[in-house]
Amino acid sequence: MGETVNNDWEALFTLFFAAGYLLMEIIQYLIVSIGISGILKKCKKTAWHAFVPVLRYYRISQCANREHEGRVFMLLIFLSRLLTPLLRSSSNSVFGLQNDADPLSKGFLLATAVALGVSICALIYDIRITCGLCETFGRKKRWVILFEIPIVSDIAMLVWGLSKKFQPVGLKEEEKEKGAEESNADLAAIKDGLTVNIRQRTARDGFQEKVLLRDIHLTIPRGHLVLLLGGSGAGKTTFLNAVTGYEPADATIMLGDHDVYKQYDSMKYDVGFVPQSDLMRGNDTVLSTLNDAAILRLPSTMKAKERKARVMEVLETMGLSMLCNTLVEKLSGGQRKRLSIALEIISDPQLFILDEPDSGLDGVVARGLFEKLRAIADEGKIVVVITHTPDRVIDLFDDVIVLAKDVDRTGRLAYYGPVQEAFKFFEKDSMEQVLRSINQKEEGGEGRATEFVGRYAHQLQQKAS
Amino acid sequence: MSKNEKKEMYAAEVDKTQLKHQGRLAQTGVYLGKLFRMFIFQSDWKVFPMAAVIAGLVCYVVGESLFKTMEGTLLGSFAVSCICIWNGFFNSIQVICRERPIIKREHRSGMHITSYVLAHMIYQACLCLGQTLVTLYIFKLMKIQFPAGSLISGSVTLDLAITIFLTTYAADMMSLMISSFVRSTTTAMTVMPFLLIFQLVFSGGFFSLSGAALKLTDFTVAKWGLTALCSQGHYNELPMVSIWNNLKKLNSVEIDGEQPLHEVFYMIEQTEGGREEIMLKCAEYNQKPEYDSEPETVLMCWSRLSFFIVIFACLSVASLEYVDRDKR
Repeated sequence: MGETVNNDWEALFTLFFAAGYLLMEIIQYLIVSIGISGILKKCKKTAWHAFVPVLRYYRISQCANREHEGRVFMLLIFLSRLLTPLLRSSSNSVFGLQNDADPLSKGFLLATAVALGVSICALIYDIRITCGLCETFGRKKRWVILFEIPIVSDIAMLVWGLSKKFQPVGLKEEEKEKGAEESNADLAAIKDGLTVNIRQRTARDGFQEKVLLRDIHLTIPRGHLVLLLGGSGAGKTTFLNAVTGYEPADATIMLGDHDVYKQYDSMKYDVGFVPQSDLMRGNDTVLSTLNDAAILRLPSTMKAKERKARVMEVLETMGLSMLCNTLVEKLSGGQRKRLSIALEIISDPQLFILDEPDSGLDGVVARGLFEKLRAIADEGKIVVVITHTPDRVIDLFDDVIVLAKDVDRTGRLAYYGPVQEAFKFFEKDSMEQVLRSINQKEEGGEGRATEFVGRYAHQLQQKAS
Repeated sequence: MSKNEKKEMYAAEVDKTQLKHQGRLAQTGVYLGKLFRMFIFQSDWKVFPMAAVIAGLVCYVVGESLFKTMEGTLLGSFAVSCICIWNGFFNSIQVICRERPIIKREHRSGMHITSYVLAHMIYQACLCLGQTLVTLYIFKLMKIQFPAGSLISGSVTLDLAITIFLTTYAADMMSLMISSFVRSTTTAMTVMPFLLIFQLVFSGGFFSLSGAALKLTDFTVAKWGLTALCSQGHYNELPMVSIWNNLKKLNSVEIDGEQPLHEVFYMIEQTEGGREEIMLKCAEYNQKPEYDSEPETVLMCWSRLSFFIVIFACLSVASLEYVDRDKR
């Protein structure tokens, strides 16, 4: 009888203990959620996300400007939530509290080791995010210690969320400026040239979809050497990748009568792209490198003799004939750049794009290189070049495309047309000044990108009507 | 140039969208040529002297009892499997990741990933074959006693060569796959030790495993290499010497002023073939059915290793198809 009463009391106590534990967990969760929601609100993020278990840490990482860490941390938290029961059970069995699972089984121990590894990784990423949060709120890094102590961290989170003393200082002020006007004018394709109608180019970054480019419409006639100008992050390379079909956008790109996107597999041989860095194997000779490129890029029907002649012709054009048997790694910066260009012009592409071909070259070598590009354009090709030092060779260009970031930090077309008219349009004397006028104020520019984007869109609309 | 001249020039141009370009096979040839040229200019040739030195070291340490005793065969086969895995891993762990941006550029201008990987497969097969020949030559040079009878081809050396080649090549393809998964040589070199330890610990022969851990061994190259070598080395027919040697250590134990064990051992050693009989009896109780010297066992190991090679190559192709997604 007495034993039954004891058992009842024991069961009641266990139930009471379990209910109390659950209540404590709920209260703790609510405190943390309220704290996080306050922080999210201060950072102009959706506050109710603080109550969604794993997602809230990602949102906090966004406040801390540590999105990448946030994504990894979310995964680690998810894994650690799965493995936590194992760790608890393991530590309990070590201290002799309970013995749910066989603590000595190899699988169990292995899983515990993994759980411990995951917890250590999670801690490191948590510290990184908290450091970022301290930077955002302009607080000292010693706060990180408090954020890593259980219970204390909950209180700290609540204080940061609710107290008016804690305000973000690292967040960029949202510009109240109105977005630039859009032209929305798809241009008719021209037969002898490139027609670009990019309506939008988006990319997904974690949970966010970003618009990288919008409303870019232009036509480039054949035989033109075009400068692509834009500040850092304006979307120059994204634009080029969209034009070549490498990273398709919501767009129509026509090269003559051919749709670059629809006929990409065959069109890619008619588009040459020279990347910024010289991506070639250093331990191969100049001739072998170019010969291999010729086999890959020239039509399979071409006879070996013709192919060899084409290789020699390109070597001659690019001034590399004397370096045929030199290893690529032994070439100078300028010679390597010329070989990189030679790899692309071997297939005689109609559209030829170069991403900063003059980076690391001195003025004389760069001038020589651009003169070669001018000669290529004069053969009836379209040559588009990105360069950060355009003024030393500006006389060689026919047109200029100016890309700029608008208020939403989306790449927009601020101008496309002849170089001399560009100076008039921007009321400047050099391309460097043009760049300064469209760059954001925090980048040392004049922050007039929206003005020019709007003005050019208006101009385009007028032309269309 | 006048407008009319320009129009005439443009009209004379060939429509390039109608042109055919080199197929996968021709591209494989191009890349193969490139790889063999680089063999001379780069440091790939160093894998042969490295294989010779490693084989020499292993022969020096475990060669004496390899294919002679049960323990020596297991230990030696494990060491040979380790050589193969080590050689295979080092052959290709960096080959793809170190030129990933170049692959991206070439893929953009029409390179087929299948051709690229196939060229690497052929080239790596040649390296592995060379290493196999070097290893076997060192075995012969250091007078390693090869097993008595062949199970498959009629030549013991050829049987061993195929096993060593397949083990090396499977490990090579595994590291080629890792090299195509990761984006930098640093990451590749960080992952490699983990893989190596996994292969050695889960080889299934040398460390005693049970349950789920034992099942994991089926997924290691080391297990199938080790099993094939033990099977070819007639593991289950060899004497077990460790028990006799350990018992002999008790030779001088005295009980009531006498040395009964000494007398027993003396008696056994005096009997013709007595000691060998004891060793074979010990071995009988320690035989492993998975190491049976049957052609089926060896063929199964070879087919598993070949299966790994194909799977790893396919995974390499699949991962490299996404090379365009690499960020700048």
